Amino acid sequence: MLLFWVVAGVLAAAAAGLILMRAAGAADAAAAADPAPVLYRRQLAEIGDLVERGLMGEGERKGAEAEAARRLLAATDAPTAPWTADPKSRGVLLAVVCAAPALALGLYLQLGAPGFGDQPFARRLAEWKASDLRTLPPPELAAVLREATAKRPNEAQGFRFLGMVENAAGNPAGAVSALRRATVLEPGDVDTWRQLGEAQVIAAGGKVEADAQATFRQVLALAPGDAGARFYLARAKAEAGQASQAAAELQALIADLPAGDARRAYVETELARLQGRPAAAADPQQLAMIRGMVDGLAARLKADPENPEGWVRLVRAYAVLGDAGKRDEAYAAARAKYAGQPAVLKQLDEAARAEQMR
Amino acid sequence: MIAEVGAFALILSLALSLAQAVLSYAARVRRSAVLAGAGEGAAIAAFLGVAAAFAALMYAFVVSDFSVANVAMNSHTEKPLLYRIAGTWGNHEGSMLLWCLALTGFGASVAGLGRTLPQGLRTLTVGTQGVLGTVFLAYTVFASNPLARVAQPPVEGRSLNPLLQDPALAVHPPFLYAGYVGMSVVFSLAVAALIEGRVDAAWSRWVRPWTLAAWSLLTVGITLGSFWAYYELGWGGWWFWDPVENASFMPWLVATALLHSAIVTEKRGALAGWTVFLALAAFSFSMLGGFLVRSGVLTSVHAFAVDPTRGVLLLIILGVTAGLGFSLFAWRAPTLGRGGMFAPVSRESALVLNNILLAAATATVLLGTLYPLIREAMSGEAISVGPPYFNLTFTPLMAALLVLLPIGPLLAWKRGDGATALRRLAVAAAVAVVLTLLVGVLVTPRHTWGALGVGLGGWLIAGALAEILERTRVFRVPPAEAWRRFTGLPRGAWGMTLAHLGLGVFVLGAVFETSWKLEAAEALPVGRAIEVGGYSVRLAAVEPVNGPNYDADRGTIVVTRAGQPVCQVTPERRFYTAGGQTTSEVGLCYRGLSHLYLVLGERREGGTYLVRAYWNPWASLIFVGPAIMAAGGLVSLSDRRLRLAAGRRRREQEA
Repeated sequence: MLLFWVVAGVLAAAAAGLILMRAAGAADAAAAADPAPVLYRRQLAEIGDLVERGLMGEGERKGAEAEAARRLLAATDAPTAPWTADPKSRGVLLAVVCAAPALALGLYLQLGAPGFGDQPFARRLAEWKASDLRTLPPPELAAVLREATAKRPNEAQGFRFLGMVENAAGNPAGAVSALRRATVLEPGDVDTWRQLGEAQVIAAGGKVEADAQATFRQVLALAPGDAGARFYLARAKAEAGQASQAAAELQALIADLPAGDARRAYVETELARLQGRPAAAADPQQLAMIRGMVDGLAARLKADPENPEGWVRLVRAYAVLGDAGKRDEAYAAARAKYAGQPAVLKQLDEAARAEQMR
Repeated sequence: MIAEVGAFALILSLALSLAQAVLSYAARVRRSAVLAGAGEGAAIAAFLGVAAAFAALMYAFVVSDFSVANVAMNSHTEKPLLYRIAGTWGNHEGSMLLWCLALTGFGASVAGLGRTLPQGLRTLTVGTQGVLGTVFLAYTVFASNPLARVAQPPVEGRSLNPLLQDPALAVHPPFLYAGYVGMSVVFSLAVAALIEGRVDAAWSRWVRPWTLAAWSLLTVGITLGSFWAYYELGWGGWWFWDPVENASFMPWLVATALLHSAIVTEKRGALAGWTVFLALAAFSFSMLGGFLVRSGVLTSVHAFAVDPTRGVLLLIILGVTAGLGFSLFAWRAPTLGRGGMFAPVSRESALVLNNILLAAATATVLLGTLYPLIREAMSGEAISVGPPYFNLTFTPLMAALLVLLPIGPLLAWKRGDGATALRRLAVAAAVAVVLTLLVGVLVTPRHTWGALGVGLGGWLIAGALAEILERTRVFRVPPAEAWRRFTGLPRGAWGMTLAHLGLGVFVLGAVFETSWKLEAAEALPVGRAIEVGGYSVRLAAVEPVNGPNYDADRGTIVVTRAGQPVCQVTPERRFYTAGGQTTSEVGLCYRGLSHLYLVLGERREGGTYLVRAYWNPWASLIFVGPAIMAAGGLVSLSDRRLRLAAGRRRREQEA
C-alpha cells in the first residue's frame, strides 16, 4: 500500500518535473526565428531543378520564380509578434503543475482500488495447490488438475479425473477435451468412453449428436449390450425423428435390464415421454422426502431470510410440488422483500411459473 | 500493485492532457515561450503515462491476472503468449487504450520533433492534440476503463475470439491505429493553421510528413487486415466491402487525396482551403471508423463493444470534435489566399482531377456503408449493400483515376503539354494494349473486363517506369549523365514511383484473382481427390491434434499436377474449448504468384469431410502491391527535404 503511493507520487513528480524542465528549456530558446523563409528560399532554388528535369517550361520559369520570391518576401516581412520568456507566466505554470497531479489523485480515489494487489494466475494456482484439495471448489480443482495433466501428458488417470472435475465445474467442453485425451491414451477403457459420451451429450445441451453417437458406438464395441450406450443411441434416433425405432430399442433395453435395476425407472420415463404418455406417478416415499427438504428450506429462510437464491428455490419447489397456496405465500413474501432488486424479482417470477410435476 | 499503478498512470495522463491543452492555448494567448514549452512537457509526460498504463495492462494479460476485469473477459491461461499479449488490444477497452497511446504518442512526437514548425503553429498543434487526448482519455477512463478490477476474480478467463488468435491480426491493430490516429496530427495542424490564419505552402510541407507516416501505417494495417480475412476466415476472398473494412478504407482514400492536394498547396500555394478541408476530414473519418466498430450497430468480428451507451458517447465525441473543426473551417476559410493560377492541362489540374475522383469514390463508399445502417435505424428493415453496388459506383471512378494516373506526373506545373506527355507514354500504352490482347486471347475462359483490367495494371506499372526513365533521360543522354540523374533523384520522387508501381501491381493481382479464380467443393472420404485448375487435391489423411487451447482435426492434403507431386498442406478445423467456437486454418500452397487455397470443413455422415479448394491466380500481388505502396510512403518520408532542420544544417556545411 505504502509502496503504491510512493510509486504514484514518483510518477506525478516526474510528470511535473518534465513540464518544468521543458518550460525552462523553452525560455532559453524563446527568440527562435520563423522557419518559413528557409523553406521558401529552398523552394526558390528548386525551381531551377524542375526546369532542368523538364517539369517546368523555360517560359514558366520567370513567373514561377517571381511567385516564389513574392512568397519569400511575404514570409520574411510578415509582422510576427515576438514570443517571449514572459516571467509573468510562472504563476499559471505553477498552478497547472500543482493542479494536474491533484486532479489525478482525486479522480483515482473515486475510480481506482488503491491497495488492491495484483493476482497473477501462477500465484493463485500455487495457493490452491498448497491448500487442502478436498475442500477446493471444482473450478479451482480443475485448474490444479489442468496444470498437473499438462506436466504428465501420458497418464490417462489424470485426464479422466480432470474430465470429472471439469464436468462438476460446469465446463462440459473442457470435460470432453480431457476425456478424449484419456481415451487416446487408454483406448480400451470402456468407463472413460462412457464418461466421454455423457460429457459430449452435456456439452451439446442434452442432445446426442454425431460425435457422442460415435463414442457410444465405441462403448458398445468394447462392452456389447452396454445399457447406457444403448439408451443414448436410442435417444439419438428419437432426436432424428425415428420415434418408433427408438421406442422399440428402449423397450428391448428395459427387457434386458434386471428387475431391481435402478436405471429401469429412468428408461421407462424416457419411453413414456417418447410415446406421449404421462410418466408414472412419483414414488410416494420419494415425494415425502422432497417435502421434508422443502420444509427444511422454508424453516431455514424463516431463521435467516437474507438469501435471495433460497427464496427463488423455495418458490420453484412449491410450484413444482403443485402447492399453489404456499407458493403464492412465499412468492408474495419474497417479492416484498426484494422489491428493489429487479434481477431477483425476475427470477422469482420465473420460479413461480414453473410447471407442476406430474 | 502493477495494475493499480497503471490505473493511476492512466488517470494522471488524462490530467496531463488537460494541462497540455490549457498550457498550450494559454501560451498562444500570452505568446509565452515558457508556457508553450510546459505544454510540450505535458504532452510528453501524458504519453509516458499512457505507455505505463498500457504496459501494466499488458503485464496483467501476460500473467493472466483475472482480478483485472478486462483480462478475465478476454484472456485465458492456456492461450499462447503472443495472443495473451495481443489480447491487450483485442477488445474494446484495451483497443481504446491503444488508441490513446497512439494519440498521445503523436502529440509527444509533435512536441519533440516539431522544432522546425513556427512557434505559433507548433503550440496550437500541441494544444489541439491535448484537447483530443483529453476527450479520448476521459472516454477511456470514465466509460471504458481497461484496468477496472473485480473483487472476486474468476478461476479462468473467458478467452479471446479464436478468429483473432492469429499472427497477422496480432499486429494488424497497432498499425491500423497508428495510421488512424496519425491523422489526428494532421487534424490538429489544420486547426492550428486556421486559428493562426496561416494555410500556405510552408504549412503544407509541414503537413506532408505526418500525412505520409499515417498513410503508410494505415496502408500496412489495412493490408494485414485483408490478408488475415483472406487466410483466416476461410471464405476464399480478401475484401468483402464489409462496413468495418470500409471504415478503414475511407480515411485511407481521404489521406491519399490529401497527400496529392498538399503537393499543389506546397508547390503553388493553391488549393489551400481544400487541403485543410481534407486534413480535417481524414481524422473525422478515422473517428467515424472508431464509432462504427464500437457502437454495436455492426455485427462483425470487430464489433467488440455491443453497447449503445458507449456508441452514443463516441458519436458525441465525433460530432463535437469534427463539428468544431469544420465550423472553424467555415469561419476562417474565406480568409485563405487563392494561390497561384494554373492552366486546365497542368500538373495542378491533374492533381485536382485526382482529388475529385478520390473524393467521389470516398462518397460512394460512405453512402454504401451508412445507407443500410440509417435505413435500418429508420424503418427497422435490414438491407445489405454488397459488391454489386460498389462494382457499379466505386470501380468505374477508380478505373477513370487509374487510366489518368500515369499522365499526371509527366505534366509540367502551371501549363502542361498533354500531347508531349502522351507521346512519352507511348511505350507504356503499347505495353497495356499488348497485355490486354495477350490476356484476352490466351487466358481461358475469355473475360473482356478481366483482360482490360490486366492491361490497366500494366499501364500503371509501365507508366510509373516511363516517368522514371523520362526523369533520368536514359537512352537519350550519355550513361554517366543518366546515372548522375538517377542517383540525384530525390527520395520523394522514388516514393511516388514506388507507390504508383505498387498500385499497378495490386490492380494486376486484384483483377486477375477476381476474374479467373476457380473453386471446387465436395464431401470427400479420406483418400479421394477433387480437381481444381488442373490440380488434383487429395485428402490423404485426417487426424486429431491437440493445440495449446484447442482440439483440431488436421487434414493432410496432397496436391499433384499431371501425376507429379506439387505440395502438401495441413489445413485444420479447430475447436476452441474455452469459448466453444470452431475456426478453420486454411492450407495455402504457393505456386509462383498464385495460391491454391484449401479449407478443411466439417465431418459429414459416413466419415467424409467437406473440402473446399480455390485456385486464386496471382493472389500474392494483391498483398505485395500495397506493401510496395507503403514502402514508397516510407521512402518519401525519408526525403531530406521534409526534414527542414537537417536541410538547413547541410546547406550551412556546404556554404
